[in-house]
Amino acid sequence: MAVIKEKAEFCTLMVDELYGQLPARVYATLFQRGKLSIRLITQFSKLNARQVKNGLCVLQQHNLLFYTVDANSGEAEYSVNHESAYNLVRAGKILEMVDNSYGPAGRDVMQNLLLLGQTRVSDLVAAYQAKINLANDEDAWLDDKKPELVIKSKAQLNSVLCRLIEAELVDVIHSKTFQSAHEIEKQVHKEVMDVYFPNGIKGTKAKVEFEQKVAEGLRKVREESKTLKRKLAQNGGASKRRKLAVGNETNGAPEEEEDLDPALDPRQVIRINYEKCIVELRSRRLVQYVSETIGEMTAYVYGQVLKQLTKNISRCRPDPLMDSLTLEEAKETPSVTTNEILDKVKTSVDLTLGIGKIPGKSISKSAAERLIPFAPKDKIPFMSQEDSDDDDEDGDYSDSDEEMDTKKENGDAPVARMSRPEQLRQHLLLLAESQPGFVRHCGEDEWTVDFKPLMENLRATELDSIIEQTCGRQGLRLTRILRTKGKLGEQALQSLSLMRKVDLQQKMLEMRLAGFAHTQEVPRDNKADPKKSIFLWYCDTEQAYSGLIAKCYATMVHCLQVLEVRRQKEKAVLSLAKRTNVKGKEKDMMRDESYARFAKFLKDEKLLMAEVMRIDDTLALLQDF
Amino acid sequence: MADRDKLQILKDALYEAARDHGSDQRLFSQRDLLDMHVIPQDNLVLLIQVIQILCDEKLFVGNTTASGLSWRWRSREDAKKYTSLPNSDLMMVYAMVDEAGADGIWNRTIKNKLNMADSLMKQCIKYLEQKGYIASMKNVEHPNKKMYIKANLRPSDRATGGPWFTEGELDTAFINELQEIVFDFIKQKSTYTSLGGAVGTQGGGGGGAQREKVPKKGVVQGTILHSEDAKGTKRSAGEISNDDTAAASAPTTTTAKKMKPAKPQLLPLPAGYKSYPTVSDIAKFIHHAGITNNTTLSEADIQQLVDVLYYDGLVEPVKVNGRKGYRVTRIPKQDTRTCNQRRLDHDPSKGGIITSFMGVEPSASGLMEAPCGRCPVYDMCEEGGPVSPSNCVYFRQWLDGDEVKEQVISI
Ligand code: SF4
Repeated sequence: MAVIKEKAEFCTLMVDELYGQLPARVYATLFQRGKLSIRLITQFSKLNARQVKNGLCVLQQHNLLFYTVDANSGEAEYSVNHESAYNLVRAGKILEMVDNSYGPAGRDVMQNLLLLGQTRVSDLVAAYQAKINLANDEDAWLDDKKPELVIKSKAQLNSVLCRLIEAELVDVIHSKTFQSAHEIEKQVHKEVMDVYFPNGIKGTKAKVEFEQKVAEGLRKVREESKTLKRKLAQNGGASKRRKLAVGNETNGAPEEEEDLDPALDPRQVIRINYEKCIVELRSRRLVQYVSETIGEMTAYVYGQVLKQLTKNISRCRPDPLMDSLTLEEAKETPSVTTNEILDKVKTSVDLTLGIGKIPGKSISKSAAERLIPFAPKDKIPFMSQEDSDDDDEDGDYSDSDEEMDTKKENGDAPVARMSRPEQLRQHLLLLAESQPGFVRHCGEDEWTVDFKPLMENLRATELDSIIEQTCGRQGLRLTRILRTKGKLGEQALQSLSLMRKVDLQQKMLEMRLAGFAHTQEVPRDNKADPKKSIFLWYCDTEQAYSGLIAKCYATMVHCLQVLEVRRQKEKAVLSLAKRTNVKGKEKDMMRDESYARFAKFLKDEKLLMAEVMRIDDTLALLQDF
Repeated sequence: MADRDKLQILKDALYEAARDHGSDQRLFSQRDLLDMHVIPQDNLVLLIQVIQILCDEKLFVGNTTASGLSWRWRSREDAKKYTSLPNSDLMMVYAMVDEAGADGIWNRTIKNKLNMADSLMKQCIKYLEQKGYIASMKNVEHPNKKMYIKANLRPSDRATGGPWFTEGELDTAFINELQEIVFDFIKQKSTYTSLGGAVGTQGGGGGGAQREKVPKKGVVQGTILHSEDAKGTKRSAGEISNDDTAAASAPTTTTAKKMKPAKPQLLPLPAGYKSYPTVSDIAKFIHHAGITNNTTLSEADIQQLVDVLYYDGLVEPVKVNGRKGYRVTRIPKQDTRTCNQRRLDHDPSKGGIITSFMGVEPSASGLMEAPCGRCPVYDMCEEGGPVSPSNCVYFRQWLDGDEVKEQVISI
């Protein structure tokens, strides 16, 4: 479990920022030394045992640790859950996402879960109850400052939780939640060995079987966090219940349905499931990408497609161990039909917008409607221009097909008024035709998304835009030539790029310094005289990615460090602002100069944190989506 | 005497016959020459005699190939040049340059091949140059070599670097200008202008009308296009009557009418659109527009240009029924104006160095916004080092901006 230095540093700073110095110091120690018992943490961190325990407690509460109990010593050993720690930075985005899809109530609940860490359902209910009671206590709010309650009743809370659990955004803690993936794997291995292969594994067949059993076991562990979801599903699922209760009315008032949700077991401990949250964030990113490349309206449609398709996707990147061996892969990828999408499109949306209107005769129906029943093999996304795999079959019927088209459509008015499903299909077809392949038209009126190649494509786009911003458009040009053509000498590069020799050399040097291009020396003869060698340029995309990832972490670290420096500088003003008689009325209570500094600090803080979150956008794309 | 006359006649006859039978590149074997039936009774001895005279007069050039001796003819003017040369050294040098053809030849190659003294070779070259028989040339592949070429030949594309080179230098201004034109052409042909389009839609011409609205020349000459633009605006403001320009949120068409005309917008064309411009379309357009009056651009040249646009991320290929057309990328972000128009509208005093008027800015990425993204000392920046976030000037600039100055004054 190697964590790059920059990430460790960032996670520690993030913990510091959110939970204070004590947990951060414990965390830093764990990052440095790996798995440790309390005794050792005390020793290395130079904190006393009480402090360490305190720190661990906070960390544990927020699911930032893994622990195992050492069989020999009986001591618990702790290690970092760096994924979780990193996800802290996404809190804001997740809240916004939940707000969009589940409204302010969902957001409120999520926010509380974020603040509390993992929580017993009963505790959460009690906390809300207290708030509700307070708000309902008329006497306490004489000076009509009564806060607007987002969650107004226990039933509503229950219902919101049910929605979130069904969406997998919230899941349950179970016995193995606090064990690292590695640890779990070890255990499952052992179990499988004990139960099925007490005499050891012999032969390839047994080995395959063993692997399957392990994968199965691992999946079972993973499924444990979904117990609540399953229970809800057994009750028929929210949408079904709603349908039964409200009949055909689609816009029933949600408040009235709350009673229909089964009460959650108060003993269950729940937490935010970041894996699924990241899936949602990915969808948002994709929609944004479409709105930049095709248009707003198409992006809206795409959003609906993704919503349907990601319902049953729990994670962005399937686990190689657990998911490759399942039948899931062999099974068809989930798809969605035009009508299913249409059902979700708001009636106020005018689907005719966003696409140019031209007469039917200049459209080749057969080309637009072409079905691609199978996912593309893992092809290298950069080669797209050279890619001619579907050339031949197209050529075969193109002529006759065009004839047919013209005949069929000439009779119509040039731009016939399309039915609404047809309007929707126009957007879907456009998505299917797009270069990155946003959707695949996998069957008659059926649509699916091949996330893996699509995300690969998007990553390359991000890299491209970073290269363009670093080395200009000519830098981008050279990179893309090298990606398409492979290794090239300077002469070839020059003639392909139509650039002057001096410009080219300067650009390549620039790119090499930035880590986007590399050279390889090919000696002309076995004397290997460097003067005579040929130098070939090439791009190593993977290396570029990992370089960028490290840079992202480092930059975020720098942002947080700068923030800390500023905080130290304005210490006096900040502590003043914290005083209870000042808080909330800073402007009136502070001297002008102090207030200006205070305001400036807040502004800087906002900027820096926003920047950290923006960088996370890039980072997420590069390594998580 | 009679013999000599006879030979003279046969010589001329054979020469003309050879010219009739092929270009000055064709090699004739003995058999080929005999089969022309110029030499009576296939008399081989006579043939050899005639050929000898032709070679002496430089009208025939002998060649040894794998299958034996063969000859090709040389034009009379060229032959005259040879015969007018006073000595064999000059003749040999001239022959070398002649043989090299349009690619030209390096003076060192001449020297080495003829095993000639440097000074003598230079003399020869000087003489030939003065006579106007050969000329020095530049070869882009070997810019530092002194090359020579027959004076009446144009250097080959390989030597000049093709149409993109002017006097051995890559003509980036020309390339850029042409690229802009190609880009504008693709942009115009691969998108739909939401503003003018509504009219076209109703007029029945649809895409066709929209296509013709901007005449091809307009793309080349910014001013014409400008007036076209204005016209488009006026028309649509008066005539748009339905949904095309109304945004999803725009409640009524009247507001759309009022709000929209100022901002025409490009939209993608429906999937399956058959007329995305292909390279050959672009080549035709460039040809008809007559922009490149003294250079002819082949389709391959245009392909090269389009490829560069592709590598720049400005256009992308779309295949519809096996026909490979091109369209611009990131259509909703594209400017509706042409490159030229954008240049004219650009106010340099408003800051920002614009390197290209083609396409759109790269989409912002969080990493590049932060100072570290572009930081020149990123590699050595570390807390505790000489450069660190706590003393970072870039962050100070980024956060404080103009306020830095104020603070300095207040201190
Ligand atoms: S010097 Fe400043 S801008 Fe540069 S890397 Fe360090 S913190 Fe970032």
